[in-house]
Amino acid sequence: MIPRYQKIVFGVLLVVSIAMATLLVRLRERAHDRLLKGEDVAPTTAPAVAPAERATLMVGNDMDGTLVAEEISLPLPKDPGARARALLDKLMEIYAGAGATHPVPGVPRAVLQVFLLPVAEVGAGKVRARLAGPAGSGAGGLLAVVNLAGAFADGHPSGIQVEALTVESICGTLHANLPQITEVRFLVDGEPRATLAGHADLTRTYLTTEAVAAGPEAGVEAGMGAKP
Amino acid sequence: MGVLADVPCLAQRSGNTAVPGAPAASARPAAGPAGQVGQVNTAGRFVVVLDAAHGGDDGGAQLNGGVAEKNVTLALSVRLRSLLTARGFQVVTTREGNVNLDKDARAQVANHVGAGAAACLSLHATESGSGVHIFVSSLAPTGPRGSTRFLAWKTAQSAYVNRSLKLAGTVNSALVHSGDTGTAGVGQIAATLARASLPGVDSMACPAVAVEVAPIRGDDRKVETEVTDPEYQAQIVEALAAALLEWKTDSETDADRARPGGATP
Repeated sequence: MIPRYQKIVFGVLLVVSIAMATLLVRLRERAHDRLLKGEDVAPTTAPAVAPAERATLMVGNDMDGTLVAEEISLPLPKDPGARARALLDKLMEIYAGAGATHPVPGVPRAVLQVFLLPVAEVGAGKVRARLAGPAGSGAGGLLAVVNLAGAFADGHPSGIQVEALTVESICGTLHANLPQITEVRFLVDGEPRATLAGHADLTRTYLTTEAVAAGPEAGVEAGMGAKP
Repeated sequence: MGVLADVPCLAQRSGNTAVPGAPAASARPAAGPAGQVGQVNTAGRFVVVLDAAHGGDDGGAQLNGGVAEKNVTLALSVRLRSLLTARGFQVVTTREGNVNLDKDARAQVANHVGAGAAACLSLHATESGSGVHIFVSSLAPTGPRGSTRFLAWKTAQSAYVNRSLKLAGTVNSALVHSGDTGTAGVGQIAATLARASLPGVDSMACPAVAVEVAPIRGDDRKVETEVTDPEYQAQIVEALAAALLEWKTDSETDADRARPGGATP
């Protein structure tokens, strides 16, 4: 015969266990939703309270194969990675617009993410990261890994010049606004891809410095340094 | 790196006796990386390598009227081969039909020409931009070819970048002046010179440029002459042949000067 108080204790423990399990599942779902929401929205949506800032976009021109510096004003997030993505989103918006000098079909979220990493150096037989502060602090050169959407790459016009201009305008825009970015690599849907649309090599690391050295004021003829 | 033996019959060879416009009369496999397979016999000849981009299941860009880039590049290659052969050049083409070769295989064809190719042209076509775009590898130039015994495959072009830039200048000049002759054609062709990372060309151990043909557009960006226009293509091919003839003359003059007792500038 089970005493009555033990039945009550067992019942209470059972109810508490079920309640805790339910709470745990709900919290897990909420955390998952928050993560997904953060990935979708945080890097692109500039805070409404952020003041508009001046930024320079290196805009390609298919007619003469040049990059032309274009000054714009827009609110930008403080985080360098999110800032880089917001700038590239604006650049892609210009390319997708009517009358664009470098027309590229627009897709929602053409740039999925921009990751900023310290530039790796090869020295004394081993690869080591160049001494730098946290990503974005600019103490050393940064490598920007630009993750493009597959739909953007698939719909991109095919040709050496048109593809090179897209790649170089991305590199030039990043370097013009975040000078600490010295190298850029590309991924498409998170995976390495041989070319953008059959021509521009996406397996290489692009150096941003050479386009800037030529000077954006007069327009930079397409052509950037690359290291294998 | 794949060896050429894996990709048989890559090189098509045509000589002076080839019938213009017809497929190459004879074909033989080019050499493998270590020269195991028979070399294309080009000793003593001025060899030009023509690389018609894309082919097979790789159609390249879609041009006006749904024409694939691979067909336009092949047409340009065949026409240019005929013209060059008639002018006494030895021509090696990477493809003569609708086959797909990877970029390494194309570079292997150029790199295994017997005495070394004097010029390599990679032919492309696009719907974007205007006029003809001429590209040279963006690799930083290194010392002359003789200073190193081996060249890294992916950056072999770096030893030839300076000569490639000179070749690009010659091609640019010929294209820009192609409308001056008063003959039939589409008039002045705007040409742009630029540097870009060019897989395939970056591995070529010879002066190499990529030539991309785009429609001719007016100031309002509207297309005035399509890439598929036969007169436009003919004018481009004539200009390229003229450029290579000038390149050959300049190379021979330079060789004469370099010889002991040769002419001084």
